[in-house]
Amino acid sequence: MLKYTIRRILGMIPMLFLISIVVFSLAKLMPGDSLSGEIDPANTDPQYIAEMRDKLGYNDPVHEQYLRWISNFMQGDFGKSTRYKIPASEIIAERMPNTIFLGLMSLLITYVFAFLMGSYAGRKPYTLGDNFISAFNYIGLALPSFIAGVFAIYIFAFNLGWFPSNGSVDISLEQGTLSYWISRFHHVLLPAIVLGALSTASYTQFLRNDIIENTRKDYVRTARAKGTPEHKIYRSHIMRNSIIPVVTFLGIDIGLLVSGAIITETIFTYPGIGQLFLSSVTQRDYPVLMAITMLLSFLTLFGNLIADILYGIVDPRIRLD
Amino acid sequence: MQVTTVKESQLKLKPVKSTSPWALARRKFLRNKLAMASLLFLIIVAILSFLAPYLTTQDIARINIGEMSLAPSGEHWLGTDKSGRDVFTRLLYGGRISLIVGISCTLLVILMGTVIGAMAGYFGGIIDSMLMRFTDFVLTFPFTVFVIVLNAVFFGKLNGLLVLILVISFLSWGSVARIVRSKILAEKENEYIMAAISIGCSPFKVIVKHLLPNVLSTIIVQGTILFATMIVVESGLSYLGFGVPAEIPSWGNMLSSANEPDVLQSKPWIWIPPALAITFTILAINFVGEGLKDALNPRSRR
Repeated sequence: MLKYTIRRILGMIPMLFLISIVVFSLAKLMPGDSLSGEIDPANTDPQYIAEMRDKLGYNDPVHEQYLRWISNFMQGDFGKSTRYKIPASEIIAERMPNTIFLGLMSLLITYVFAFLMGSYAGRKPYTLGDNFISAFNYIGLALPSFIAGVFAIYIFAFNLGWFPSNGSVDISLEQGTLSYWISRFHHVLLPAIVLGALSTASYTQFLRNDIIENTRKDYVRTARAKGTPEHKIYRSHIMRNSIIPVVTFLGIDIGLLVSGAIITETIFTYPGIGQLFLSSVTQRDYPVLMAITMLLSFLTLFGNLIADILYGIVDPRIRLD
Repeated sequence: MQVTTVKESQLKLKPVKSTSPWALARRKFLRNKLAMASLLFLIIVAILSFLAPYLTTQDIARINIGEMSLAPSGEHWLGTDKSGRDVFTRLLYGGRISLIVGISCTLLVILMGTVIGAMAGYFGGIIDSMLMRFTDFVLTFPFTVFVIVLNAVFFGKLNGLLVLILVISFLSWGSVARIVRSKILAEKENEYIMAAISIGCSPFKVIVKHLLPNVLSTIIVQGTILFATMIVVESGLSYLGFGVPAEIPSWGNMLSSANEPDVLQSKPWIWIPPALAITFTILAINFVGEGLKDALNPRSRR
C-alpha cells in the first residue's frame, strides 16, 4: 500500500511537468504578455518599455523563459499580477479560503442529504417516497449546474428572499464576530447546495442501489433467520457495507468541485478561485492565470490519487501494485 | 405419390426467420413509451430549429430600439430581449447552433475515441501503452479550465464556432477511447477474430468488419450520453462567455443575459425559454439514452 502510494505520488511529477509545459505554451500563445505588470505604468516612453522588456527577459529564448518561470514557480514565486500589481500568490491566498469553505459546505450537504435520502430509498424501494427521491435524482443528474443556479437565485433569492444572491459576506459586518460568521454561512448555503446537487443525486442513487443489492445477500438472510430486529439489520449489517464504496467518491468529488466552482462562483458572484480564474482570463492576467491553472490541475491529479488509494484501503480485494 | 407432394409443399414453406439482435432491440425500444415520447420531442425540436429561417420572419441580428424588453404578446410570442430582438425567433436559431455544436462534438469525440481505443486495444504492446499514456494525459487536464484557456488562445484568430467544436472534442475523447479499448480487448480473444486473421484479413479489415460491429451498441449508448453532455458543455461555456461567439445566438448565449440582475429578476421571459429548452432537451436525450441502453442490453427484460 505504502509502496503503491509513493509510486503514484512520484508518477504525478512528470505529469505536472508536462502540464506546466502546456500551461506555459498556452500562456505564450495568448495575445499580449505580463510585461505591463512589472514596469512603471506611468512611463510610456517606447525606449523605456523596450529596455525593460529586454532587461526582464521577455526577449530571451522561450525555453529559458520557461525554465525561469518554472524555477520561480517551484519556489512559490508565481509572479506579479498585471492587474492588481501585487504577487499572484497573495491574491490567490486571499480568495482560497472562500473556495475551500464553499467546497467543504457542498461536501457536507452532499453527504448528509445523500445519506438520509439514500438510506430511506434503499430501505423502502418502489414506494412513493422512493419514487420522489428517484425523480429528484433524475433532475439533479440532468439539470446543468448553471441552470440550477439561475433558477435558484430567481426563486430563493429574488422571489422568496431567503438567501442573498451574491457575494460571500455582508460587508457592513465586522470580521470575527458571530453575526459575521452567520452571514458567511448564509451566503455560502445556496451556492453550496447548487454545487453539491449533482454529487448528491449520484451518491443517493448509488447508496439506494447498493442497499437493495445487499438486502438480498446471504448474511442478511442469516441475520433475519437469527431473529435480529429489522432496524438493526439495516443499521449494523447493511449500512456498514453500503457506506464503504461511497467513501471512494471523495477523490472524484475533488475534481468535480474544481470545475463546478468556476461555474457556481460566477453565477453567485462569489469571490473565490473560480471567479478569479475567469476574470484573469478576460483581463489577460497571465501570472494569476498560470498559477490557478497549475493549482487546479494539481487538485484534479490529487483527487484521482485519493480516489485510487481509497479504493485499495476500503476494499482489500482490489490489489494495488 | 401424394405423400411426396405433401413433403414438397412442406419444404416450400418459408423457414421461420429468427429475429436479429437489432430487430429485437428495435422492438424493445419502440415499446418504451418514455423513450419514444422523448425521441418525438427531440425530432420536433430539431425540425423547428433547422427550419427556423423558413418558420420565422423576424430578424435575429437587427437591434430594434423601439421594441426593447417587451413582455410576451401576440406579436412577440415570448417577448423581446434587451436589444429588441424576438426571443422566440432567437430560441429557434439558438437551438440550431446548440444542436449543431452538440452533434459535431459528439461525432468527433466518438470518431477520435473509437480510432484510438480500437488501435490501442487491437495492437496492444507498445502502441497500446503509448496511446493509453496519451489518453491518461488528456484525461488529467481539468476540462473546464483548459477549454476556457484554449478558447481564449484561439479566440478571434479562426472561426469561433469551429474552434469551440475542435477544442471541446480534443479534450473529451479520453473516456470513449478507454471504453472502446476495454471492449475491444475482451472481444478480440474470440475465435472468429483468430479465424479472420488466419485467412489473411488485414488489421484494418478485422477492426472495421469484425470488431467494431460487436462494440457498436456500447458506442451508440456512449454517443447518446455524450450528446447530452456536449449540449451542457456548449451552453455552459456560452453562458460564461467563453463558448459560441456572442453575435451568434445559442441557448447558452441567450441564457447569459440572466447574468444581469435586472433581467434575472424582472424580465424572466428573456432567460426562462432557453433555460427550459436546454433542460428538456437534455432530459429527453437522457431518456432516449436509457431506452437505448435497455434495448441493446440482451439481459434486460422489459
